[in-house]
Amino acid sequence: MRARKVAHMPSNFILEVGLPHYLVLSSLLFVTGMAGVLLRRNAIVMMMSIELMLNAVNLSFVAFSRYLGLLEGQVMVFFVMTIAAAEAAVGLALVVAIFKRFKEVNIRFFEHLKG
Amino acid sequence: MSPDVFLFWFLAILTVISGLMVVLMTNPVFSALSLAMTMVLIGALFVTLNATFLAGVQLIVYAGAVMVLFVMVLMLFDLKNEIYAFTRGKISGAFKVGSVGILAGLVIGSIGLTASTLLQSSTAPLVSMSGDTTKDLGKILFSQYLLGFEALGALLLIVAVGAVALARSKGGTHAK
Repeated sequence: MRARKVAHMPSNFILEVGLPHYLVLSSLLFVTGMAGVLLRRNAIVMMMSIELMLNAVNLSFVAFSRYLGLLEGQVMVFFVMTIAAAEAAVGLALVVAIFKRFKEVNIRFFEHLKG
Repeated sequence: MSPDVFLFWFLAILTVISGLMVVLMTNPVFSALSLAMTMVLIGALFVTLNATFLAGVQLIVYAGAVMVLFVMVLMLFDLKNEIYAFTRGKISGAFKVGSVGILAGLVIGSIGLTASTLLQSSTAPLVSMSGDTTKDLGKILFSQYLLGFEALGALLLIVAVGAVALARSKGGTHAK
């Protein structure tokens, strides 16, 4: 039974879009953003990757809200968007402070912040 | 293949490509432009999920305000292509890529294992969500979640003041 399910899965998966498709897309975007945070050394690009992760979470919130018929997911997306905007403002202010002192936004200069 | 399905795959593939370009471009300005494209595409995906108002907010807040903030700061800095754009250690880099791959495998594997039940419950969405949801969203946001909404307003005010204070600081304990 299990083999049969796997066998007819592909055409079904391509021709019928549902919740799993959006969840897989959302997790791919989240993982891309996480790789950016781990691998990039530029503080601004790291913050862009964080925005990418937040967007991926928003996508899965909206997908769940659509397919479960609950509006709470969309309300939560509002909150996430506001927090993301606030985080971007504070983070960029920190980056500006670092740049004013070191003329560089590479993440290795952030360790000089510790007293 | 119906238009809805084609639209989803088109948007999904473009979103993944532009998301990868955010991480892989060595010039930060190109990263910012790819991020703006990703935001617009995610807004389009919101439309395919019947969240039209959220799609508009996504365009205005993310693709508009936040991206302008990023690009303005990038222009302040006048950054060129970076020499150390990526982390340098080969072994630690391999560990990071490996951990990211394992996370992706775990998440997508668990979605795949539960896909049959998810599809069963998801192929027939509820009738209330089939039309435009903006009116219901406004009702629930200003009744049940009013306190959180007002708290967010206070948070934004505090953050605006704090961002100005941080940007004007001269480097904390290292100030000369």
